[in-house]
Amino acid sequence: MSDIRVIGVLPVRRRRRRLPIGVGVAMGVLALAMLAAVLGRLIFSDAMHQDILAATLPPGSDGHPLGTDELGRDILQMAVAGTASALVGPVIVAVGSMMLGVILGTLAGYERGWLDTLISRWTDLLLAVPVLLAAIVVSGVMGGGYWVTVALLIVLFSPSDIRIVRAGVLEQSARPYIEAAQMLSLSRWRVMFRHILPNVTSLVVTNMMLNVAFALVAFSSLSFLGVGVAPGTADWGRQLTDGRAIMFQNPAAVFVPALLIVAVAVCVNLVGDWIGQRLSQVGEEAR
Amino acid sequence: MTVILGDLAVLGPAGPMVEPISAEIAPGATLALIGESGSGKTLTAKSIVGLLPRGFRATGTVSVAGQAIPVGSAGDDAAWRRVRGRSVSLLLQDPFTSLTPVHRCGDQIAWTIEGAQGRRLPRGARRAAVEERLAEVNLPARVADAFPHELSGGMRQRVAIAAALASDPQLLIADEPTTALDASNQAEILDLLRRIQEERRLSVILISHDLGVVRGRTDDVLVMRDGRVVERGATAAVLAAPAHPYTRALIEADPVVAARSGARLSAEEDASGDRAPLLACEDVTKAFGARTVLDAVDLSIAPGAIVGIVGESGSGKSTLARCIAGLEREDAGSIVLEGEALAPGRGSRTPDQMQIVFQDPYSSLNPMMSIGAILAEALGVAGRASSEVPGMLEMVGLPAEFARKRPAELSGGQRQRVAIARALAPQPRLLICDESVSALDVSVQADILALLARLREELGIAILFISHDLAVVRMIADAVTVMWDGRVVETGPCHEVLEHPAHEYTRLLVAAAMRENAVPADGKD
Repeated sequence: MSDIRVIGVLPVRRRRRRLPIGVGVAMGVLALAMLAAVLGRLIFSDAMHQDILAATLPPGSDGHPLGTDELGRDILQMAVAGTASALVGPVIVAVGSMMLGVILGTLAGYERGWLDTLISRWTDLLLAVPVLLAAIVVSGVMGGGYWVTVALLIVLFSPSDIRIVRAGVLEQSARPYIEAAQMLSLSRWRVMFRHILPNVTSLVVTNMMLNVAFALVAFSSLSFLGVGVAPGTADWGRQLTDGRAIMFQNPAAVFVPALLIVAVAVCVNLVGDWIGQRLSQVGEEAR
Repeated sequence: MTVILGDLAVLGPAGPMVEPISAEIAPGATLALIGESGSGKTLTAKSIVGLLPRGFRATGTVSVAGQAIPVGSAGDDAAWRRVRGRSVSLLLQDPFTSLTPVHRCGDQIAWTIEGAQGRRLPRGARRAAVEERLAEVNLPARVADAFPHELSGGMRQRVAIAAALASDPQLLIADEPTTALDASNQAEILDLLRRIQEERRLSVILISHDLGVVRGRTDDVLVMRDGRVVERGATAAVLAAPAHPYTRALIEADPVVAARSGARLSAEEDASGDRAPLLACEDVTKAFGARTVLDAVDLSIAPGAIVGIVGESGSGKSTLARCIAGLEREDAGSIVLEGEALAPGRGSRTPDQMQIVFQDPYSSLNPMMSIGAILAEALGVAGRASSEVPGMLEMVGLPAEFARKRPAELSGGQRQRVAIARALAPQPRLLICDESVSALDVSVQADILALLARLREELGIAILFISHDLAVVRMIADAVTVMWDGRVVETGPCHEVLEHPAHEYTRLLVAAAMRENAVPADGKD
């Protein structure tokens, strides 16, 4: 048998975390969109100003780089001013349904029993409701409007959050560290929200980001169908609807809002996936 | 037919993980690789079958019966397919996860046979071949139609052995093949392997952290630490006269060695005493559905005593502990602590009565909390200030800086120390250790046992120590209760139970604890 050679001390392995290029670009796009959402209406306060004399100008016209629509409104200005309504609603819907999901999902998953049955059947019921159809009906009955849509989408989006949180809480509840917390006779609220919840954060955050993208598309669809925002408001979905008529005279009237909706939705998904992965890695290391 | 390892080394993404190893294994001989987790023994095994994790790479040469194994070409699946199964087979540790749950055992064995022959067999021949393999591992033919979940751990591992050997390899690598099994199954599986090996003139590499497994069943041994071989030689010679201090430490830490020499970590105290018991359980009964897991169990623990409960998985020992702790609700019976009857469930219990230290140190600490926060919370429950955290860490032998770390930064033994500190923070009168050292390496296990013995001396705390291994229990327990199939079959002072086991099952456990071979004709050691 041969001798044993010594190669050297084993270096400690360190993980380098680098931002993937796609995620970096997506973050940049979202940062720009947020900037536009905050400043857009201030800079282009008269974006919705109609000027019949300048109606339906093609892109590249003097003073209107992307042309104008049927009513002579500048496409670029409308698109920038519409960012706020495109982002604010979806973010509120995603955060709102996440909060509902965290509270109801944690209760259902940890307490089990009749509370779980009640909450789970409620989510089953809501999941059976087609989101867009319900929104159209409610808008028709209640007269519609932006904030009615926000409230409605929060309720209709919450079942997926509740289910995901509940599943995560169920999985964590069976772990010994939860039993150790029970051995200390900690209050159920402390066990639920201090011990379990931080361990399902990655699920919650990933799902919230997905919901932002879904809600963005839902809002735009509703505006496109004319039941979202009031006419005359700067909004991508509305702009898309209005631009349809002059698609061949000025394609930018349709493609600019459409591309913006797609781009923001994709970027939110990319960033959401990445955040979810990062968060779940923190949990993985512990296993 | 000889297996030759020539300067086999493993490189990780950040440098060498295992330094070059050379060895020769004759047909019918067994080479043991011993070491604790992180010593590189499993990486070495995986490099021989081309299953290294991504980013790892092997160098050197391996030849099995003259055929070169492509150790350097990790990604070349075609080359590996000619080797895996046909020249080299791998037997894994955990029979609960190494078989596919959705396929019948017979099919899983047949895949290996067909894979080795490179063709599908007709129905009848396939069935006959499978039954022949099952017979070799002493299993009845009906096992072929069973799904893995229908079999016990020992039977599953036999199926895994049959599947691993179905392709008639020349080298079998067994990676901790009995670690996940009960004591009574361990010896049987090892003897079975030994028998088949002799019949087939098979070369075996046996990987284990357990010296008891290696003793008497292997010819040569390599002791590994931090990716380096620190000692090598004939097994009997190395175990009898270890040259390296690490090998000596491993041997001293081995509970079997202690069991044979009678060494203990704390003096055995008279647990029967006239004093009123701290805890008295009477007729505790519990059923899960139609299955009775606790059948009128009695248990008594004197103040400051260490009482061991021994039994295999499914014997009800953990369920009893959980009923005492209030994590399960017993169906009938009484649990009395210090004269006060406790109703079933956690609701009637306070943290200063009893605490549990669980088996798995990797899931018993909240991964999102720092060690300091975990201990501060437990101290807070008893109204103690978080300024006592450094003192608690010191008590369990950890430096105060650990308060800032998260569980992921700690080793298994360190985490178990934290779990013990957390359990002691509310100053309980009874500490329940539910298989608390079973998941740890032998040397770490000895450290934790010594810590428990010391804490009993210093704090006068009573400990209910649950284990499947009598060799471990006898190192610290004053009294032992043996459970089998939900019943207490024997109970008494530790030395009495060990020296004069009355029940047949206890005798089996004592033999397993001493690692006395089930087949004395083995002739080794």
